[in-house]
Amino acid sequence: MTDSWGLLKGTLEMLVLKTLSLGPMHGWGIAQRIEQMSSDVFQVSQGSLYPALQRMKRKGWIRSEWRATENNRRARYYLLTPAGERQLGRERAGWERAAAGMKRVLNWAEG
Amino acid sequence: MSLWTDVVARLRSLVQRDLEERELEEELSFHLELEAARHERAGLDPALARRRAEHVLGGRDQVMESVRDARGVRPLEDLVRDVRYGMRALGRSPGFAAIAVLVVGLGVGASTAIFSAVNALILEPLPFRDPGSLYMLWESNPEKGWERETAAPANYLDWRERVAGFEDIAAYTRFAADKVLTGDGDPRLLRGVDVTGNLFPLLGVRAALGRTFTEDETWNDAERVVLLGWSAWRDHFGADTALMGTTITLDGMPHRVVGVLGEGFSFPEERLDLWLSMRWTRADRSADWFRRAHWISPIARLRPGVSAAEADAQLQAVARQLQQEHPQLNHLMGAGMTPLQEFLLGDTRTPLLVLLAAVGILLLIACANVGNLLLVKASGRQHELAVRAALGAGRGRLVRQIMTESALLAAAGGIAGLALGWLGTRVLERMQPEGLLRVSEFHMDGRVLGFAMAVSIGAALLFGSLPAAFAGRAGASSTLRETGRTRAPGRRANRVASALVIAEIALAVLLVTGAGLLVRSLWRLQDVDPGFEPRSLLAVTLNLPPARYPAGEPVADFYTRLLERVRAVPGVVAASATSNLPLRERGFTSDFFIAGRTPGDYGSEVVRRRVAPSYFETMRVPLLRGRTFTAADRTGAEPVVIINQRLAREWFGDADPLGRRIITDREPDSTSVWRTIIGVVGDERQTALALAPQIEMFESFYQAGARRMTLVIRTAGEPALIVAGIRAAVAQMDADLPLIEAVEMRRVFADSLARQRFLTLLLLTFAGLAFALAVIGVYGVTAQATRNRVPEMGVRAALGADAGAILRLNLARGLALTGLGLIIGLGIAWPATRAMRALVFEVEPTDPRTFLAVTALLGIAGLAACWLPARRASRVDPAVVLRSE
Repeated sequence: MTDSWGLLKGTLEMLVLKTLSLGPMHGWGIAQRIEQMSSDVFQVSQGSLYPALQRMKRKGWIRSEWRATENNRRARYYLLTPAGERQLGRERAGWERAAAGMKRVLNWAEG
Repeated sequence: MSLWTDVVARLRSLVQRDLEERELEEELSFHLELEAARHERAGLDPALARRRAEHVLGGRDQVMESVRDARGVRPLEDLVRDVRYGMRALGRSPGFAAIAVLVVGLGVGASTAIFSAVNALILEPLPFRDPGSLYMLWESNPEKGWERETAAPANYLDWRERVAGFEDIAAYTRFAADKVLTGDGDPRLLRGVDVTGNLFPLLGVRAALGRTFTEDETWNDAERVVLLGWSAWRDHFGADTALMGTTITLDGMPHRVVGVLGEGFSFPEERLDLWLSMRWTRADRSADWFRRAHWISPIARLRPGVSAAEADAQLQAVARQLQQEHPQLNHLMGAGMTPLQEFLLGDTRTPLLVLLAAVGILLLIACANVGNLLLVKASGRQHELAVRAALGAGRGRLVRQIMTESALLAAAGGIAGLALGWLGTRVLERMQPEGLLRVSEFHMDGRVLGFAMAVSIGAALLFGSLPAAFAGRAGASSTLRETGRTRAPGRRANRVASALVIAEIALAVLLVTGAGLLVRSLWRLQDVDPGFEPRSLLAVTLNLPPARYPAGEPVADFYTRLLERVRAVPGVVAASATSNLPLRERGFTSDFFIAGRTPGDYGSEVVRRRVAPSYFETMRVPLLRGRTFTAADRTGAEPVVIINQRLAREWFGDADPLGRRIITDREPDSTSVWRTIIGVVGDERQTALALAPQIEMFESFYQAGARRMTLVIRTAGEPALIVAGIRAAVAQMDADLPLIEAVEMRRVFADSLARQRFLTLLLLTFAGLAFALAVIGVYGVTAQATRNRVPEMGVRAALGADAGAILRLNLARGLALTGLGLIIGLGIAWPATRAMRALVFEVEPTDPRTFLAVTALLGIAGLAACWLPARRASRVDPAVVLRSE
């Protein structure tokens, strides 16, 4: 199984932020949600996810705490911080601008 | 993202490393479980689901490693690992670690202690407003041999009026400013200084209570005003704030207290109690004596924007004007200025810098020593390093490992050094002779701490770099080949170690030579004849307050009757009095003119002293010609003087001075007092043992009295035992009169040596340490070298070389090192010790005897250090060695 999102480097952090904006989640849950939400376009490997989470923690965008799952298991949950929320806003705006630009270019080329 | 959260996160990762690792593992296991469960839900059997999940996880260790990298603490973790590894390595050889730390600690400690003195005296600015623009002004006179002398008040006042480059000039004098406080309990002597009213504003110093002096108070001789020092106010007046404005009795006169100065303020000397106003009169301003007597120290502040050179040029011009305006009084009188701090430091600068150089050398030797120890250790580990290099450890990694070890040693040594340095400053403070370092408290401020740190880091780089470089070059293949069979460390290591030892010896030679010169000089000084017999002699100083003892008869009368009482005290053999105690302070000096010489052929700087009858007999100063004073030499009788041998020789040559007449003016005029020379006595050293006797003339105490006199009392037994009797004799005559000082002359003699002795002791200590370290170095290197050559020795012995030949072979090597070190050291010491010329007394800085003694001492010590290991090598049993190969 290859990292299909790898082509879109730098987007993983945005995807994680978006996921966490829906509510706290543990690592596996984050990966699942990203796959679901992207209809399996993005598949997140653990080898990328956990270092990314570590980096984002250091940047202060997310924090983590140990919580009980529905099945009463101990798991590390990640939460969005206010700084993370702002970062998500910035990334979304940047991404949308880039996507819109990309779309115009492609449309023009096709037309 | 903020830098702060980043740093905190990194730090947390560093500190809670183990916790984070555990948590990460748990998190990944949890992930694996859920992933497996997902596959199971999709229909896979549990085992397959598990395997699929593990595959997805993509190698647990790799994930963990990339998370670790993402924590951003890699370099730090490496450092922590290096430090841990280094501590373990040092812990494995605690003896080595302890010695290295001690040696570094000694080096850093000695440097820190001396540096803290340098810091306090040279680097720390004076605690005044803009201290850099304060200058001490002084007078010089080639004819009188004056350099940086105190100034005449009239000249000072003219400078103040005419030199535009100075904002203001103040002045002070310690001359006769000590006062006796009476009124409450025992009379007490307080240390005072007379100052002009503008001194405090000039320095930018305010009173803590009340006010400082006004300009008017300098010119008001009607009222006496006083400022108290903080500790005097606390100790003698119970910190009573109601004291302000009231009067206290000093020397029997009422003085109004106008203020108290802040805690810690004491200028121009340490531990002063009183600041008194000058109390000049307008009539003084134009009087001749105001320009003839030179006794005040002026301090000037540069006007902003004026350079020191400009102000100095103006001062010179004014001094020339004053020479022309007062051709008699200011003949050849020059003026000059010196930055205040430099002036106050005075002749302390040279000894301080010599000591600083000495501790610097000691530190270098300590570094060389530790470097050598590390090198020996490193060559023992060469095999290990080579193996690690062969296994792919980077050269940088190995170097860093060794440097970390050195840094650890330096850090521990630095801490030990700080502790030793602090201890050293306490010792210095206690042992320093009065007036040498002139600081009552050294303190460890940021600069001293910074210095200690810099020195430690420098030391680590110095002694760590050699073995590190060596480790870095440990070529894997060659070393493995070389060490495979004989395990003899490389020749390169031996060469480096030898070079270090040679350097150590050379530096030790430098220090030992310096110390040797001081020791020689001290011996010379101890042998100096002060001109009198200091044993069984007590000196007691009294000062009669003018309020109760008007000049003339009452003063002479008091001392005459007191001496009679003193002679009656049991244990007293003889007693007399002098206005100035030899080896302490000379009397004031005058121009003089001898009857019969041509006008203009006057002399100057004759020291004048007043003594009571039997002074010379009591002091055991030999009478060479004529007679001494008697009670008949009093007012109304013919004025007479006694001269010292030096004056007789320089001014009369072979002619007989007896009966010749002398005046204390440059030219005779109607006011001149002609005195007849009645005797010639032996020379006494007036100010210090190290200073040659000056020409001196004695007047009879009855013809020229003084309120302040020092009784000299020859005793049969211990002088200290009769002090109580003297005190009682004084109290019987005047209960309010304190003994200003009662001191044995033996002690005065020793005090005159104190400075030299202190310096000698310090330098000797440093030299001793340096010497020991160097000898240990020679021993260490020779021992290592012979140990390495044990197989060779075994072979030689097996081939029939006798023990003597082997001994000689090993000895030769050690001696070559010592000899080379000696030659280089002597080569450096020869010119370098010239810097000590100002510190030694009647010893040439290139004194051949000292150099010979140093050579012999180090040569013998070096021989002994080589002999022990060499002897061991000569006793090697060839069978044992060859078998072990």
